[in-house]
Amino acid sequence: MELTVVIPSFGLDALLRTCLASLATSLQVAGIDDVRVVVADNGSTNPYRVEHLGGGRVELLRFDQRTSFARACNMAARSAPARRYLFLNNDVLLHPQAIADVVGTMDAVRNAGICGARLVFPDDRIQHCGVRMDDGPLGPYHEFAGQPTARVSRAIRDFPAVTGAVLLIDGQLFDELGGFDEIYPFGYEDLDLCLRAGQKGARITCAQAIDSLHFESMSNRDPGRHDLSRQQFWQRWKGRYTRVGSWQPP
Amino acid sequence: MNLYVLPGHGIYGGIKVGFQFASILATMGVRIAVATPGGLAPTWFESSMAVVDRDSSIAQLTEQDVAIFSLPHDYALLKRTPARLVFHCQGTDPLIDPIVDDPDVVMLACWPQAAAYMRARGREPIDVGIHVSEVFHYDGTPKKPAHVACMPRRGSDLAEACRRHVPSLTFVPIDNQHERDAARIMKDCAYFLATSEGEWFGLPALEAMAAGAVVVSVRVPTGPHYLDHGRNGVVADADDLPAALASISADAERLLRRRLLLGGMATASRYSLGHQRSLVDGAMGRGLREALSWS
Repeated sequence: MELTVVIPSFGLDALLRTCLASLATSLQVAGIDDVRVVVADNGSTNPYRVEHLGGGRVELLRFDQRTSFARACNMAARSAPARRYLFLNNDVLLHPQAIADVVGTMDAVRNAGICGARLVFPDDRIQHCGVRMDDGPLGPYHEFAGQPTARVSRAIRDFPAVTGAVLLIDGQLFDELGGFDEIYPFGYEDLDLCLRAGQKGARITCAQAIDSLHFESMSNRDPGRHDLSRQQFWQRWKGRYTRVGSWQPP
Repeated sequence: MNLYVLPGHGIYGGIKVGFQFASILATMGVRIAVATPGGLAPTWFESSMAVVDRDSSIAQLTEQDVAIFSLPHDYALLKRTPARLVFHCQGTDPLIDPIVDDPDVVMLACWPQAAAYMRARGREPIDVGIHVSEVFHYDGTPKKPAHVACMPRRGSDLAEACRRHVPSLTFVPIDNQHERDAARIMKDCAYFLATSEGEWFGLPALEAMAAGAVVVSVRVPTGPHYLDHGRNGVVADADDLPAALASISADAERLLRRRLLLGGMATASRYSLGHQRSLVDGAMGRGLREALSWS
């Protein structure tokens, strides 16, 4: 299998349907046919049904009890081994050319192991175009977050990490890393994965030509939702990553 | 996998040069990480290199791997591993002789002086160069004409002698600071006083040239090859350094200072990131590709 797309999801059926429709278009534009799409139904109150999600090539992996984002992603990826995995959040609406942009960037950057995507909020402000690390209390932050996308360079560059909202990873690398680390209950597992990939000598990059829409945190808006994961992340990584640039307020 | 092995992450030029070289290799598709004690990352310069724990990484080296090192003290330890070894020579010292004499170790040279040292012992190194961080290149910051940047950590007595001899100048120490702050001081100051008599490759002086400061340096027998008295800086013996600083900072020497400043910036421009990338790219065709691990 060339590509497996993994979408962990909880509820938000209408949003998921729209996400899947945008994915189908983007895969078609990219000319990728050898693909499986696995939705990890992470304990939705009303279990998803394929026919309600637009049918087609979508496969469901149901968790009756809600589990961590990391475990849901790992299980879904293991159920459909592939040369590459694309992890996708259900609140991302891909631009028709987004997959081609991400795959093309991954192919163009020598030794790239992971590639993210450029994401914007509905008002065209940057949600994500790469993650930088601050060695102070701020820690990881999204570079240029909140800036109008028109003002932010589209040059391809390396990052220590990218968001897991849209994350393409080499399948062999993913297996070598043992997938996402399941010690993270919610959040930071994507950054941890990237930092560990870097330690294996892989480059982390981000596609910049195309903007896709990311609503961000639609499934869980609790302000403390990342606290435990953040604590885990700090214990493992504080002082153990290099930094480039500094956070600029929007 | 390639591992650049370093002895620490503190403020020593060799640490930064190692990270810079590893970063360039990474952009060329080389799988590489930097190994430091405890896997701790330096916080005094910018880099995107991944860092791993030195002890555990060295213990896991296989014959498929390559260990790159620049501190001669690491040679014995790395020699006991099954990894192939690459010596990234940043300076010369009799301690490196057993490494240079080991035909199984591939030699890389940052400087012509290091290359000459190795050739004298019958080895032909691969030139991979060095570069000044982008942050040092002069950006038009207005200069403070009577300010002298210096690094008193090495040669503090000499710096103090200069300060006493030329009281009209203000000395601004650079010590234990992020390179961004060091660059800001160098860009502010009209002069950079290099007082380290044990400096082989003198990256700070080159950084000061990039920052548009007139370099006034103590003479070092095997000192920086790029520093040329009267063309891009002032070089004097330790005893004469205070007088040399007084002389070059005199009102009458405005034109000479301008010439030295421009000469220094021209010299530094040959040590850009782009230039080193080209050099390393060329080195790939001169044996570097075969010396590295591609698995």
